[in-house]
Amino acid sequence: MGTCPLYDADRKMAGKRAALKAIDWLAFAERVPPNQRAMFNNLKTRSDAIGAKLSSLPEKPVTIDWSFYKTNVARAGMVAEFESKFSALTIPEPKDTATAAINTQEAEANKAAVAYVEASKARIAQYGKELEKFQNMIPFDQMTIDDLNDTFPETKLDKEKHPYWPHKPIAEL
Amino acid sequence: MLSRIVFVSANAVKSCGPLGAGLAQLSHLHTSPSSQAPVPALPEKGGKTRHGIIPEELFQLLYPKTGVTGPYMLGAGLLTYILSKEIYIINHETFAAACMGTVIIYGVKKFGPDVAAFADKLNEEKVQKAQEVKDLAMSSLAQAIQDEKKEQWRAEGRQMLFDAKRNNVAMLLETNRRERVHMVTNEVKKRLDYQIALQTLHRRMEQEHMVNWVEKNVVTSITPQQEMASIAKCITDLKVLAKVQQAKATA
Repeated sequence: MGTCPLYDADRKMAGKRAALKAIDWLAFAERVPPNQRAMFNNLKTRSDAIGAKLSSLPEKPVTIDWSFYKTNVARAGMVAEFESKFSALTIPEPKDTATAAINTQEAEANKAAVAYVEASKARIAQYGKELEKFQNMIPFDQMTIDDLNDTFPETKLDKEKHPYWPHKPIAEL
Repeated sequence: MLSRIVFVSANAVKSCGPLGAGLAQLSHLHTSPSSQAPVPALPEKGGKTRHGIIPEELFQLLYPKTGVTGPYMLGAGLLTYILSKEIYIINHETFAAACMGTVIIYGVKKFGPDVAAFADKLNEEKVQKAQEVKDLAMSSLAQAIQDEKKEQWRAEGRQMLFDAKRNNVAMLLETNRRERVHMVTNEVKKRLDYQIALQTLHRRMEQEHMVNWVEKNVVTSITPQQEMASIAKCITDLKVLAKVQQAKATA
């Protein structure tokens, strides 16, 4: 029997259709921050549902035994007509509307991530500086009040604002 | 050495004399930017004194020339000099001073150590609090750096999200395509099967109808005399059979 062009279309189109990338869900799960865990779980359940639906459908449709029908169907020419129409039929591939949106999303996310990483590095540098300041500090029992005021400017008593001892509001004693 | 000068007045603490305060000031001599010499550590206790007020340095100064008794001799001589020459005149105030001096010295000797310990404790607490603040700040900064690094690592994984999304889209498209193909084949097959089923039904009905018709005709075509003849034949057959049976039984 002639192979139905449906199946040919399969083989021709297989190259164009995007191959499914294997996703390591465990590694992905590790990288998800705790506040986005619910979204991740939703995504995973959805993906699993879609995958299950896909695998429940066989890849090739049932083959139609044209010779059997030709010999058995009484109506003249019906089977031949069906067969010719069936072979001529091409099923249109469903259109992919979402991938473009996903790609733009990805580009934006990349930009945002790069900016975030930059800000994060700046924060790390700042923390590193403060950490260095603490590490290079002289021990407290070697400090005088002037040294303390230099290291921690917030401890300096404002003698202009409060000219009389204790140089700070009584409530802060 | 923040405390001993700040919290407690100088004369309540036994060993802290004016020289101690002076030594603390000395440590700031190196703070000008022109000198890079390391700052000497702040002294823990004030300068050593003998008998509470006379600095040890005087005794060390005089020791090479006058030995151990030198400064005492100097003191006694000075005292005698100012008394005899009436540079210092003994009057009522002298007695008052002596009494006050006695009481003060007694008070310091008795309560000095306790007050000093109390002041030291206050200072210890302040230093400890500051130390805790410092430790907490250091540990939280280190933790913050770790967290930032971890967040950066997390952000690197964003590729996987989009791969998953694209996968989902591809799977949905593939599912849709398969559904369409299946639907077409199933519909065509259904129609062909219907034709076949229709045909088989027709044949069966025709067969049944024919059989019924033949039966009916046969039944009606059995005429009464044929019926009589067949019944008579049956009876004669039965008689023959009975005879055969009798013969068998007796033989």
